[in-house]
Amino acid sequence: MSMVIEVEGLSKRYGSRLAVDDVGFTVSDGEIFGILGVNGAGKTTTVECLQGLRRPDRGRMQVLGLDPRTAGSRLRMLVGSQLQASALPDRLRVDEALLLFGDGDRRSADRLLEAWNLARLRRSSFASLSGGQRQRLFIALALLNRPRVVFFDELTQGLDPLARGEVWAAIRDVRERGTTVVLVTHFMDEAEALCDRVAVMRAGRIVDAGTPAELVARHAHSTMLTFTPPVSLDPTALAGLPGVHRVERHGGRIRVVGTNQLIAPVCASVLGDDGLGPPDLRVHHPDLEDALIALINDSDANGQPGPAPGRTLEGVS
Amino acid sequence: MRALLRLAITELKLFVREPMVLTFVFAFPVLTVVILGGVFDDDDPNFEGALPSDYYIAAYIGVVIAAIGLVMLPVHLASYRERGVLRRFDVSRYPRWALPAAWTIVAMVITVVAVAVLLATGHLVYGLPEPDDVIGVVVGTLLGAIAFISIGIALGMALPSARSAQGLGMLLFFPFFLLGGAGPPPDAMGNPMSSIANAVPLTHVVRSIQEPWLDLGNPTGHVAVLVGLAALATAVWLTLSTRTAE
Repeated sequence: MSMVIEVEGLSKRYGSRLAVDDVGFTVSDGEIFGILGVNGAGKTTTVECLQGLRRPDRGRMQVLGLDPRTAGSRLRMLVGSQLQASALPDRLRVDEALLLFGDGDRRSADRLLEAWNLARLRRSSFASLSGGQRQRLFIALALLNRPRVVFFDELTQGLDPLARGEVWAAIRDVRERGTTVVLVTHFMDEAEALCDRVAVMRAGRIVDAGTPAELVARHAHSTMLTFTPPVSLDPTALAGLPGVHRVERHGGRIRVVGTNQLIAPVCASVLGDDGLGPPDLRVHHPDLEDALIALINDSDANGQPGPAPGRTLEGVS
Repeated sequence: MRALLRLAITELKLFVREPMVLTFVFAFPVLTVVILGGVFDDDDPNFEGALPSDYYIAAYIGVVIAAIGLVMLPVHLASYRERGVLRRFDVSRYPRWALPAAWTIVAMVITVVAVAVLLATGHLVYGLPEPDDVIGVVVGTLLGAIAFISIGIALGMALPSARSAQGLGMLLFFPFFLLGGAGPPPDAMGNPMSSIANAVPLTHVVRSIQEPWLDLGNPTGHVAVLVGLAALATAVWLTLSTRTAE
């Protein structure tokens, strides 16, 4: 498979802060590549360098065989971008935006309006659109010139779950049509649902990269069962079951942490006399969010401050 | 070129949809006409032999040009930057100079319309004299407009937010307005003040229009200043708009 994006040794400093530090990765044709990390990890700066919006201090970059530093205007014809912080003039109407940023071809504008469910909003002004409608318009604009690569930066920030689902389906659709997608996000469920491969950034560096499944296997090991134990159960007995690492008590509930193999034996041992298990039993499988939190906490060994263990990513700034 | 024209037409439409933005450009100069034209006696000797109401015609046009260049354009462009509209254009197929270039066209159209409204009002209220040198008046007006539009775009590209553009724009506009010809006539000013007035760019716009209109002298020096200002300000905005963020 040919490489659409190649980055090597990319660095960018803002004053005394190293925002991007020796970053390298490749994106191959037709994949959805995710750049993950908490806010301030350097994701947006990295992508802005690739889009030609920012000049890196060091490093080698190629997007579709072109260097964004020198071939910025040619690249803009081949690349589509949805930016994290951008807007349109308040009074600009949806159909006008598509004609303005497209090649003026009314038919291709109409096709995109239909495809992105914007047709009935064509006469609406940008100011009157909801967050989800604006995002759909920005996606449509990013796809206007039939780009070979699209960059989406925090695409679903501020969207309700229904709108997020629509946008996810739309991104899969974009890839089906052969466009390579670079997705910047701090939502791990989004990356897990969409990305073929991801790179995790922290404090300007890529700390690991691979498929979501590889990252989960490498960094998130623990399966967790939580439940209110039946009165007859002796919780200390659970600790001796195969696959169990530890048993914790949280109020009236018990949390059993261990490998995936613990599920069956633990469940078997908590069956009541009626043959049913605890009604509040919940199983948590390791996911990309666990992997990312583990990765971030690992980096703390380097003396860098990190979030407290167990906090969700949304809570980290 | 077609794309640039489409951009200019779209921007012009947006202006028409938000007419409040234009109040300052259209209403303020008209008010100035009505007030200033009636302040002085017709035989006041400070107006180089011209009638005060005739003398101030060029100043009214200068007020339109200054309002567009120092207030309307910087505020508009800075608010585009602040809100992320310029970023959206940065990743579009438009070259980076396209939006400011479209704005030059839009601002020229607005200038022509606003000057026409103004002269019509002036004519109705006080009556306008026939210009002595029509071509000279047109050249002076167009060069003055281009110089101030370029200054406005350079300011808009340099300033970080609409609020800062509004503040600085007003800070420049009022001294320019008072010293540039719409205030007391130079003959009525003390020596130091009239020297300062000569350093104000708007003075050159007003003199470039006034001298050919009322046959008060040869405006070549003032016209040359306007050409220099336009070239300098255009170079500044071209540099600012095409550089990549650090």
